[in-house]
Amino acid sequence: MSSTASDVGKHVPALASSLRPSAQDELAVWGGPRLVRGKRVLDLGCGDGRLALGVAALARTVDGLDPDPEGIAAARKRARDEGVGNARFEVGAAQSLPYKDGAFDVVISSWTL
Amino acid sequence: MVDALHEIHRVLALGGLLVDARPDSRVLGHAEHVTAGGHRSVGTIRTARAELGNDRASDRAITRVKRERLFRSRRKGRFWHRVPFDGLAALQEYLREHLRFEHRVRWTAGTATRRRIKDDRFTIRRAVRYELLERVSGQT
Repeated sequence: MSSTASDVGKHVPALASSLRPSAQDELAVWGGPRLVRGKRVLDLGCGDGRLALGVAALARTVDGLDPDPEGIAAARKRARDEGVGNARFEVGAAQSLPYKDGAFDVVISSWTL
Repeated sequence: MVDALHEIHRVLALGGLLVDARPDSRVLGHAEHVTAGGHRSVGTIRTARAELGNDRASDRAITRVKRERLFRSRRKGRFWHRVPFDGLAALQEYLREHLRFEHRVRWTAGTATRRRIKDDRFTIRRAVRYELLERVSGQT
């Protein structure tokens, strides 16, 4: 990671992903690409999509959910800018998930619970 | 917290995995001076009291859903994450606005040393813990 705290300005929780580990670094620690390869993944508390977009190339589909509309708007913009077609982002809360039973193979709760 | 875990259990397929990763507030963070030889700790950083309470609540929630046999632990561990800063002032400004950490470093390096190195590069090194939890068949 090349950016420093001063590069990204003040600490704003939903948009501070540049101060977090990279998706690849976290995935490597958790077990590597096989954890998400070909899987239906939900990133809870996805913020600006740091993790969701970081694993999208490996996963079958990725959904991101966050209560912060600003974070979700940023995630959608990043997905468009990066041409990611298998990621969807919605505003919502973990206590009432807008998904069907058994919809996912992996749920990631990184810096969320 | 438990409500969220019950919801996660519902949307996960049987045998699916929940990855729970978060800063490990049981371990002190460190302010580090970046030198040619590596990183040298110049102080420690504690987690804010309110966040310690939140972390304990999360731990209790995870313990409960394991006891309810909704999830079982597959693997757990810890890694270190470094956040870089251009100088001591930038590090201190970051801490002043940080929600999880106490807003000041408990210095182990003396005032004269800090003055001498204040424009060098620094990092905050923090522990992050994770646990992979497998969804098992229990009913919520």
